[in-house]
Amino acid sequence: MHIENQPDGQLASESNERAGYFQVSGAHLYTVLHEVKNPVARVLLVGPFASERHNSYLPWVRWARHLAAGNIEVLRYDYRGIGESTGDFEKMTFADWAEDVRLLAACLQQRAPHAPLLLHGLGLGAILAGRAFDAGTGDGLLLWSPPANANQALRATLLRWVGLEQIFKFGDDRKSASDYIRELEQGSALDVDGYRWSPELWRDSFQFAMPAALSSEAEAARAYERPVKMMKLTRDAAPLAKGGLVGYDDLKDFTWLFEPNREWIASTASQLSKKAAYA
Amino acid sequence: MRDPQMTCEIGTRELIELDGLGVRLRGTYHRAPQRAAMQDRVGVLFVNSLSLPRAASGDSAVHWADAIAAFGYPSFRVDLPGLGDSEGHATTDLLDFINAGGFTSVAAAVVKQLVQRFSLSGVILFGHCAGSVSALYAGAASPECRGLILLDPYFHLPQAKRPKLREELSDWARRSKLGRLLSNAYDHVRSLALLARGNAPPPNANAQLLARWKQVASAGMPALLLKAPGIKAQGAKPRVGEFDYMDYIVELAGKKSRVAAEFVEGADHSFANRKGRDEVERHIEQWLAANFPLPRFDVSAGDAQAPRSNDVKLDANKQMAAPVARYCALEGR
Repeated sequence: MHIENQPDGQLASESNERAGYFQVSGAHLYTVLHEVKNPVARVLLVGPFASERHNSYLPWVRWARHLAAGNIEVLRYDYRGIGESTGDFEKMTFADWAEDVRLLAACLQQRAPHAPLLLHGLGLGAILAGRAFDAGTGDGLLLWSPPANANQALRATLLRWVGLEQIFKFGDDRKSASDYIRELEQGSALDVDGYRWSPELWRDSFQFAMPAALSSEAEAARAYERPVKMMKLTRDAAPLAKGGLVGYDDLKDFTWLFEPNREWIASTASQLSKKAAYA
Repeated sequence: MRDPQMTCEIGTRELIELDGLGVRLRGTYHRAPQRAAMQDRVGVLFVNSLSLPRAASGDSAVHWADAIAAFGYPSFRVDLPGLGDSEGHATTDLLDFINAGGFTSVAAAVVKQLVQRFSLSGVILFGHCAGSVSALYAGAASPECRGLILLDPYFHLPQAKRPKLREELSDWARRSKLGRLLSNAYDHVRSLALLARGNAPPPNANAQLLARWKQVASAGMPALLLKAPGIKAQGAKPRVGEFDYMDYIVELAGKKSRVAAEFVEGADHSFANRKGRDEVERHIEQWLAANFPLPRFDVSAGDAQAPRSNDVKLDANKQMAAPVARYCALEGR
């Protein structure tokens, strides 16, 4: 297969991608740094959760490359217990995944030369990024399809998985999403797309919510003196949003989504740098 | 300056880069304890299933690669060009590309590099679904390939995007009693058509892939075929009216073949559910031990003795085809 340049510009920075393992308590996080010399900004990508990671991996990598091609340094990673990261998924908690964001953001912030640090989260990753931002991490925040709480994200993943399960089942063998939710609520673990969801994960997901100040951009503007952009992705953005066909939609051109968001990050970083210089 | 918290290797895993015919490929090497002389070892290479990253559904490939390495066989999960973390651009007609053997040359090149770099006696190719198609094509093209592990392989040319009306009809048939009756009647009509065809492969059979299968299987290359329960299937047998490809390819392989076909009860198509994952692991362990025994197994050997990619270069005492590339995130801070 020959290398072609992609409309959304994925190839410009590939040679500066460095993969590694980052040690956290009891596990190692798989990280990929899209390194840039003298970046205008740095972005920590907090990606989709569990099986959503696999479905949206290609556009997520291309988004990182698109940013790097625009002189924005990017660090992407796999959650503890997921993908190339180590750890037992079943034993992980939202607190563990929140700690991942905090540690990696701190690591990225220490890199030289200094550049504004933005957090970008998608789906459940939006809650993780949002909560870290609310706690003071990062100079700016970009959220794609932020759910109100983690249960909304889990429920969406569960619905997609049930839809696939039902393809292989007929009549009475078909279980509905409500049946599976009942099992979780009654204390049974559930194997969703190869990830064992514990009843505790489901229970805790209701409490793991987006900070109230991030319920809308207007609220965020009132609450923080740092820039925040939020957008709900439509079906056109599948598989970054729900829907689509694996093997097709993950390979399509995402320039329409990537370009304006990269521009927002670059202009936000420029304003932040000017502000810092005046200060 | 390198971040002290960042590393390219942990436990028995190591991040590697390979040359995919001019495209930088990224992957993970799962080191095996040194149970046999290095030159006697075969390695296992996992290739991507359609557009999934190298971890595969539910990270099942990570689990199996760890397990296979623990059995004594070094394992490698590599993202093919345009997939996962590798460079390159995958085409939007990826399924057609794979079914036509689009990854054959690059996968064969990866096999060759692994053999040279890690001093392996050969490589077993591991693929699931569309990955099994890539594995089979590459296995036929690669002189270093010693065996195949194929999970739910398919030998027809599937229609990637079914018409919406057809999808809705199928869904209705699965939901309602009347739909099921009609679906069963349709299956029986198809079985009559199958009989009328003399049980020959259907017109959409992938003749090129079947030819590759015949080439490798009839030559005696060991192959493990694992099949998950299909839609409306009766155990290992396909749905009424569907052509039995498993039977056909076992027969096509001939009497001298070394093909083991196993049905994995309780697995779903991804094999990533707990039951499927464990059963696959068990079948692979038995099959490897039967076909690629490790005679000089040192029970006391632990992870500490597992050769690293750089150790291999020294131990093998021979020229590497390509330098071992090790890049760490945040290196050079």
